[in-house]
Amino acid sequence: MTSLTDRYVAATLRTVPAQRREEIAAELRGSIEDMIDGRTAAGEDSTTAEREVLTELGDPAQLAARYEDRRLQLIGPTYYLAWFRLLRLLLSFVPALVGVVVGLVQATDGDNAGGAVGSGIAAAIQTAVQIGFWVTLVFAILERTNTKLDLPAWTVDQLPNDRPDRQITLTDAAASIGWLAIFTAYVPLQHFFSFVPARDGEGNLPILNPELWSFWLPFLMVVLIATLGLEIAKYRAGRWTRPLVVTSAVLDLAFAIPVILLMANDRLLSPELVARFDWLSQPDNLDTVATVTIVVTIVITLWHIAESIIKLRRTA
Amino acid sequence: MASDEILRIHLQELRRGTVVVASLVALRHPDYGYALLQRLTEHGFPVDANTLYPLLRRLEEQGLLTSEWNTEESRPRKFYRTSAEGESTLTRLLEDLAAVQTSMTALIQGVER
Repeated sequence: MTSLTDRYVAATLRTVPAQRREEIAAELRGSIEDMIDGRTAAGEDSTTAEREVLTELGDPAQLAARYEDRRLQLIGPTYYLAWFRLLRLLLSFVPALVGVVVGLVQATDGDNAGGAVGSGIAAAIQTAVQIGFWVTLVFAILERTNTKLDLPAWTVDQLPNDRPDRQITLTDAAASIGWLAIFTAYVPLQHFFSFVPARDGEGNLPILNPELWSFWLPFLMVVLIATLGLEIAKYRAGRWTRPLVVTSAVLDLAFAIPVILLMANDRLLSPELVARFDWLSQPDNLDTVATVTIVVTIVITLWHIAESIIKLRRTA
Repeated sequence: MASDEILRIHLQELRRGTVVVASLVALRHPDYGYALLQRLTEHGFPVDANTLYPLLRRLEEQGLLTSEWNTEESRPRKFYRTSAEGESTLTRLLEDLAAVQTSMTALIQGVER
């Protein structure tokens, strides 16, 4: 039977280069036996002593890494910033670019507009995952081979020329604009592409009431696009100002009030969608959905308005 | 007083380099891994076995230690000894340690004055 010590030594040496393996094995085994003897001399029984000595030495993989002076990290401080900056640069435009190109090619190729948007989004996500994987893999290999990168050293000229009191960061603005764009695009898309099949399993059921296309849905889209414009203006200003707060509040209300009123009068969701689900078509349940939607809308709207006022005060 | 965790981290940082210096001093008298570990601990340099054993190998590869297998005792043991190169490196390290102590003393006196 192999002892715990045998197994420990074998586990440690698995990754150590072969030419040094035997010597390290002999030394490590000797050291372990010395340590066990030290403990048994103090009165411990040998089984407990062996367990405790090996526990003290810790994870064999970690010990092996120390023998080889190998760092236990995917990407260390030498390469981290280069990796992070390259990844951020590539992710900032490549997936979006690929997504748009794929979407356009699909849209001109067939007559399925919804499907084209879908494959555009799928292509963008795949591209992002591929970029993340390959960039990280290359840097992990550089880390393991200790390759010199010879990047130009940092100089003071690289300091960003930006106001130090900026409230609205580029990341925040980009995220808001991205979400608004997706949300705006989804208003017409849900009519053709809701992922809710009809009862006979064919076609799509619109989520929003198609009757609202006569006025309210175009109106809500205009409000969303105006909000998108406001986000751009806000980023350019770098901070909340009184006109921005007022405009933002007006746009928030212009969106929330119609949504609340339509929901309260059971006009927001398409009747086909409601009839499709037994649970939703019960009047009580529909009321619950309406109430939850209304409360959430009110809370989000009030929170957004309050936040803008608080931030305005903070800069005043 | 900062938390125990913060104190522990700073003490660890402060002690990190001293294990090398202490080992080079101790191995002027040849010894094997476990015995060295005990001697260092007795003299106030507590060090983990999983740090010391790989360290000895690295110092040997750097030429600061030489080694020899002793097969006369109950089990074969690898004895390390500070090499000539190790000795001159040690001299520089000890000078620097003394310089740190001197500078620190001067700084403390300067601040207190």
